[in-house]
Amino acid sequence: MKGTARNERKRRYENSAYFYVAAILLLVALIVVFPIGYTVYISLTNMNLYHWFDFEFIGIGNYIRAFSQANSEFLSSLGLTILWTIANMVLITLVSLVLAVLLNVKGFKGRNVYKTLLMFPWAVPSYVSILLWRIGIFNGEFGLLGDIARALGSDSFYILQSYWGAFFASLLVNVWLSYPFTMTMMDGALQSIDQSLYEAARLDGAGFWRTTFNVSLPEIVPIVAPSLLMTAFMQFKQFDVVYLLTLQKGAQTGAGLQTIITYAHTTAFESNNYGLSSAISTIIFMLIALLFSRFAYREAKEGRN
Amino acid sequence: MELRKTARKALKFGSLHLLFIAVCFIALVPIIYALAISFSGTTNLTGGIFAITDFTFDNYLHIFTELDFGTWLGNSLILSIATVLVTVIPSAFAAYAFATMSFRGKRVLLFLLLILNAFPQVLTMTALFALLRNTHLLNTRIALILVYSGSNSIFAFFNLKGYFASIPSSISEAATIDGATRPEILFKVVLPLARPAIIVTSILVFINCWNEYLFASTFLTGKDLYTLASGLYALQSNNLARNWPQFAAASLFISLPVLIVFFLMQRYMVSGLTAGGVKE
Repeated sequence: MKGTARNERKRRYENSAYFYVAAILLLVALIVVFPIGYTVYISLTNMNLYHWFDFEFIGIGNYIRAFSQANSEFLSSLGLTILWTIANMVLITLVSLVLAVLLNVKGFKGRNVYKTLLMFPWAVPSYVSILLWRIGIFNGEFGLLGDIARALGSDSFYILQSYWGAFFASLLVNVWLSYPFTMTMMDGALQSIDQSLYEAARLDGAGFWRTTFNVSLPEIVPIVAPSLLMTAFMQFKQFDVVYLLTLQKGAQTGAGLQTIITYAHTTAFESNNYGLSSAISTIIFMLIALLFSRFAYREAKEGRN
Repeated sequence: MELRKTARKALKFGSLHLLFIAVCFIALVPIIYALAISFSGTTNLTGGIFAITDFTFDNYLHIFTELDFGTWLGNSLILSIATVLVTVIPSAFAAYAFATMSFRGKRVLLFLLLILNAFPQVLTMTALFALLRNTHLLNTRIALILVYSGSNSIFAFFNLKGYFASIPSSISEAATIDGATRPEILFKVVLPLARPAIIVTSILVFINCWNEYLFASTFLTGKDLYTLASGLYALQSNNLARNWPQFAAASLFISLPVLIVFFLMQRYMVSGLTAGGVKE
């Protein structure tokens, strides 16, 4: 009796598992966890350009500074990040939904060709396409927008230099980068709908719109909801678009557009205020852990086996 | 009556085609524009696309003769291949354990890995910079391989775990009855079965490294250590005003292998991404 209980436990818990997971845990501890811990530590010091090596422990001063009125940049970047996430999600969802529904119009022949062409923004490395947008389209002197402005008889047009100009330009590029993924997900979900549902709707005399709203949408929402949630999170921590369009070191356009992530980065690598930057990073870590822990907890529980 | 129906159908599909042609054109504008510029013989294009006069392949030749493109390509290959090795092997071991074995602390570790995977690595750049400086690893390839492996290993782990879990446990059980040990099952049964997932994961990790510019240009500042991504990034920030057609040519040339791989693996990308729950 006792023996079987022990065997049972032995069957359930295998110590050799630790051997298999050791390497990745070491890697993650060294490259991911330790730097996060070090970031928290730096956030409690006055490390900056003048105190690279001889920095001192200053307690929560950097956190007070991040939230203080005098340094409203952090709070405004937080507000912008929320606006950015919402605006992107509304546009990405709309664009990809319309495209996916139209791709699935019954009997439409061009479906595969158009779908492939529409995937290009996803396929091109994103830093390359962001730079192509910046130089080829938005640049006032030799970009397409400048050309169009001049052809219409106006002056060269520097959209990336104003705050809202840069916001809408970044929004456009980000939607352009993101819609292929959600469109593909929605297309896959639409393809998986049982055809008999459409037959039934047609027999009931439902047209394209009624079928779309009463059959297609309710069917795909549960399927695409997780990838939409993931997409929303991607927008929240998006860095490359705003950074490459307006904030590159030595090539800032002066728009002053900052999301929390770009703000944390420029505070460190432009203003060289590593302590403040690390405090902001720590706040973002806590935000993400808070937002994400429920989901992670559920996943971890399900992933038991 | 029949005729009117056909006409209505033609109108419906005709307008759909027109709409999609317009949408595809808009979606491809930056790429088409770069393609056009890359064949332009005039440099310093104020006046943009309307100023193109000569057609030439020189810009594509010049990225090899005027830039250190060969060196960049070699560096990108070294870094990406090394990262794939350092990333995928530990991830595959761990994914196997998490998918098929029970052990104390499994759920906690899974929870932590999920949370860590959500943290943007760019936020730890200061800490990584300080750590690498203190260990005298700045401006070495090892530094970058380690940094890439850290973030990519969690991504690869979740990708592979999903696949390993989908392999029926009856196969491993049959092997156990035949007297196979754990390592034997892993190497002779599970890994061969999981080959497609391992290949796809390796390619995704490879592309992640191939496309990474920020850490590469911050941690490897020596010109001889530039990768394609950091080289291109430096090119547009220093040299661009002088030669935008050359930049367009270099951009498209660097994107081409990624494009080919993407469309070859399109099907796997989507399922791999949903299984892993991550798009890097």
